[in-house]
Amino acid sequence: MNTVNTMTARAGMAVEERAVKPRFNSDLPQLWIGIALIAITGLGPTLIGNTYWVHTFQLVNIYIAASVFQNFLFVDAGQKSFGQGVLLGIGAYVTAIAFGLHGMSFGVSALLGLGAAILGGLLFALPALRVQYFHLGFVTLSAAIVFPQLLMSLDKWTNGINGISIKLDWIHGDLFLGFSPLTLLVTLWPMATLATHYGLRRSRLGRQMRVAAVSPEAARTLGIKPGMMRFTAFIIAAIGTGICGILYLPATGYVSPQGFNVELSFVFFFAVVVGGRGQMLGPVIGIWIVFILPNIALAQFVEYRLLMYGVLTLAAIMLFPDGIVGSIERWRVKRGVTGRGEQAFRVDSFLEGLEGTQEHKPSDDVVVEVKGGTKRFGAVVAVDKVDLKVRNGEIHGLIGANGSGKTSLLNVLSGLSRLNEGSFMINRRDCTRLPADRIATMLGRTFQTPRIFPQFSLWENLKLGMDARTEAPSAGILRLAGELEAEFENDSAELLSHGQRRLVEVMRAVLKEADVVLFDEPAAGLSSSERENFAKLIRFLSRRMNKTIILVEHDLDLVWGIADRITVMEQGRVVASGDPASMATDPAVQHMFIGGRRA
Amino acid sequence: MLEVRNLYAGYGAVPVIEGVSLDVKPGEILLIGGENGAGKSTLMRAIAGFNKPTAGEVLLDGKPLQGMAPEQVAKSGLRLVLDGHRVFPELSVYDNLRMGVAARPSDDRAGFAQSVEEIYSVFPILKEKQKLYARDLSGGQQQMLALGQAFIAQPMVLLCDEPSMGLAQALLPSILAFLRKWAESGTAVVVVEQHLSVTAPYANRAMIIERGQVKFSCPASELDARLASSARQTAAAG
Amino acid sequence: MLSEVFIIVVRGIAIGSIFALIAMSFNVTFGATRILNFAQGNLLIMGGFFAFFLANGVGLGWWVLMLLVAGGLIALFSAFQGWITLIPLRSSVEQDSWIISTVAVSVILGALMLITQGPFAYSVQGVVPPFRILGVRTPGAYALAIGALIFWYIALRLFMTRTFVGLAISALSQDFDAARAAGLPVRRLQLVSFAISGLLVGTAGFLVAPVISISPDAALRYVLNGFVAVVVGGLGSNLGTLIGGPLVGVVMMLTAYQIGGAYQDMASLLILVTILMIRPQGLFGRTSARQV
Repeated sequence: MNTVNTMTARAGMAVEERAVKPRFNSDLPQLWIGIALIAITGLGPTLIGNTYWVHTFQLVNIYIAASVFQNFLFVDAGQKSFGQGVLLGIGAYVTAIAFGLHGMSFGVSALLGLGAAILGGLLFALPALRVQYFHLGFVTLSAAIVFPQLLMSLDKWTNGINGISIKLDWIHGDLFLGFSPLTLLVTLWPMATLATHYGLRRSRLGRQMRVAAVSPEAARTLGIKPGMMRFTAFIIAAIGTGICGILYLPATGYVSPQGFNVELSFVFFFAVVVGGRGQMLGPVIGIWIVFILPNIALAQFVEYRLLMYGVLTLAAIMLFPDGIVGSIERWRVKRGVTGRGEQAFRVDSFLEGLEGTQEHKPSDDVVVEVKGGTKRFGAVVAVDKVDLKVRNGEIHGLIGANGSGKTSLLNVLSGLSRLNEGSFMINRRDCTRLPADRIATMLGRTFQTPRIFPQFSLWENLKLGMDARTEAPSAGILRLAGELEAEFENDSAELLSHGQRRLVEVMRAVLKEADVVLFDEPAAGLSSSERENFAKLIRFLSRRMNKTIILVEHDLDLVWGIADRITVMEQGRVVASGDPASMATDPAVQHMFIGGRRA
Repeated sequence: MLEVRNLYAGYGAVPVIEGVSLDVKPGEILLIGGENGAGKSTLMRAIAGFNKPTAGEVLLDGKPLQGMAPEQVAKSGLRLVLDGHRVFPELSVYDNLRMGVAARPSDDRAGFAQSVEEIYSVFPILKEKQKLYARDLSGGQQQMLALGQAFIAQPMVLLCDEPSMGLAQALLPSILAFLRKWAESGTAVVVVEQHLSVTAPYANRAMIIERGQVKFSCPASELDARLASSARQTAAAG
Repeated sequence: MLSEVFIIVVRGIAIGSIFALIAMSFNVTFGATRILNFAQGNLLIMGGFFAFFLANGVGLGWWVLMLLVAGGLIALFSAFQGWITLIPLRSSVEQDSWIISTVAVSVILGALMLITQGPFAYSVQGVVPPFRILGVRTPGAYALAIGALIFWYIALRLFMTRTFVGLAISALSQDFDAARAAGLPVRRLQLVSFAISGLLVGTAGFLVAPVISISPDAALRYVLNGFVAVVVGGLGSNLGTLIGGPLVGVVMMLTAYQIGGAYQDMASLLILVTILMIRPQGLFGRTSARQV
């Protein structure tokens, strides 16, 4: 009865707080502002009947859409591409060749154009499987330089320097109120791209992409393949940008190699930087400044255009690195969004009501087995011929001095580093050479330095555990997730203390429900009451959810309180292993009690 | 020599060290203990300029250090030896020692040669391997080299973060004995260590950090007793 | 036939030496700062410009003097650019703003050149006369390019292993925090690395001015080929650039001869993608040093 009351009280509080709590991020309002701005610039010129502005803003809106995908690539996928203009160019050119030179229907031509843009995107996406960061910057820049050269030299197909003109009358015709189909298309398309970007961000794929971009290592332990994420992002961007290219063709009625030189790619890139990297509204504002300012407002200085791009971008990165929209957003966040300080994240109350009333007991099945595992770093042997057996459902404490090889062993088990010699198995499957993202289907872990992503809300940080699941969650987990969402949806994770960050990772591992969970010093920095809660949580995982747990921890009281079995490491070697009672009197452990204890 | 007054520091918006004060005199070794995650390393890094303190003072010989870059702090005479026996793996042992000159107060070749000889006499293995790359040394030898490099700098204050990390425990006494001798030549030494009972006999005073704050400090000889009584208190409270 | 192969190889190695020099200049700053300066190609062209304006058709003495002046000025500029690039990196968590700022500087330099000089390529008279090997007339600047490559390889090697400043730069590339703790003046060393990189690529541009295209749009092509050379050789390995540069050069010459000059950049893009797919660490790339 009592618990029910406190539960409802807590829920009530949460509702009240939610009412006053500012949004964690402003993506949604920015999306609506962006759509409104595109509507005004897309439809406005027709309403006031200015053909010059109609034509200009058709192009501006196409460029906005291309920049939205640049923005997505840049921040959500963490990839710097200097070659988005190429993909737009391929889309436009192939459509023009099919339609203008070979007389195919516009629909078929457009499909060919899109297909070609995707093929072009593969050129960026394939290396992205293997490498990232500046490598792809050079690949894409290189493509941006090669593309116009190819257009010139493949003149048999492209008409070379003369370019291709097309006529497509219906698309400029009056549909209603003076709006042409083209005007509607180039107004709706950037709106759709903004909505797509927003949708991707809220999706599992989008979250996993962002995790892979920020911390490939953490991503792999959550079952994410960072290379695959980059590949997918480049392909998505290629499709979107290719469609921009198809729209570009009727908007200008003409394609030529000069239209697709490296400058075009720079426009998209610089627009994102100046407008605000990662902000939904960034590309809209960015294109207005980077494209409209030099080309229209200061048209008499058109030869200074490139110089203006460069100076604007350099000024942005030096003076307001978050860009225009980003700087405003940061100001808003500074004033509004807060976490709840010291006691912001407590887990205990959420665990009531999880299913599994039956008590599991550790069985004799060996779930994790290491045989003669050795890991070297140069001349230093971090893990030295380790043999280790962990049984199903048990809590296995792994103790030893700092630098004795515990974390190195966890890194091996989670696939982040590979054994030089020996092997290990999880669930009777040899995992010695398995990549981390494959091992992650069986195993979850936390890190000594918790992997918390400040760009996500506290709830989204937890949700990464749900995202990493390979099976559908049980009703209990779903209910737990629902409660956590209601409570932490608009909380920032950035203000959590280190101890609480560890708990967030622990909770993430709970939501993931992996068979085996590795905890790397989870109690460090927790208060004694938090430690008790944590111990409860571990016992819950083991006894109720039947998970196998390896616990690296220095708090020997905690370990002796909950572990079923304890292994002691020294200098990379296992020096003792056994149940807590016998280990307490083991000479290998004795000196830890005197010296290291309460260290 | 080194005075820290009410220091606050952390990462991003998260405070790790909250209101820590300490002082060390020339010739003295201060032992700092505490659990992992209590903030010992953060304290060392904040004193040495790697983390900008959000409040408080760090005074070296009365002159404020807070806000200085780590390399300036080192030049001013406070040398931090990072944890994890960090040396420059692709430089020879001798060249690693040479890098110590960067923070040396005077640029005298003879003095440098003499300091190198002193290091070689304490750790003869380094002399033996002086032409090898540092990456080819064992963890213990790398720790000796890291200390040797700091010794070359002849700092007024030496901060040493977990010299035992990743080493065989048997090596620790010889390293501590070296620090003791070094301190007695007039250097103020702060050692962060996990092996308190091994380290305490070499130290003058001890201090325990818990959750970013000083839990207590006492003469090193009383450390065991104080730890035992505080453990009893915790047990009683829990 | 044989002489054609010979021409391709000689020209390829010579042009490739220019790529290798750019690649080496990448390595110098990358080690110390983890920054690859996208404007490096503009600095090469700047060296060519100095040769055109200060030393076109002059005597040897004046030419040498101007070589040093040009190298010095470009080194200064490079250090200044390094200073600008490093400013945002000091405080921010995000450590890749350099990609944006160096590309921006590259665009600015290209635009300034375009505005002041127009889009034309300038031709510079060589100070070293053409010579014949195996009966093939070869521009003197080709010999200079190969000579400069060998000179800089040896000079950098000696500098990085023998001098205190060189060792210190190498130290900070191995463990930045440990270098700071040791009191090495890391910011100054990083600026020195930028200056050396500028000196290297600036003098290279001056030397090879007669055989490169000194025009605003050539800069990006050179920087990209330099990058391909460094990727082929392995980022951070100067020995690798000795192979990577000439290899790229020969493949480009071969492409020009077999397919057409317009496809040279395409060929180097394909080399880049292939290497990144098959062996991303390059031919001589080492696995990174131990991280604690």
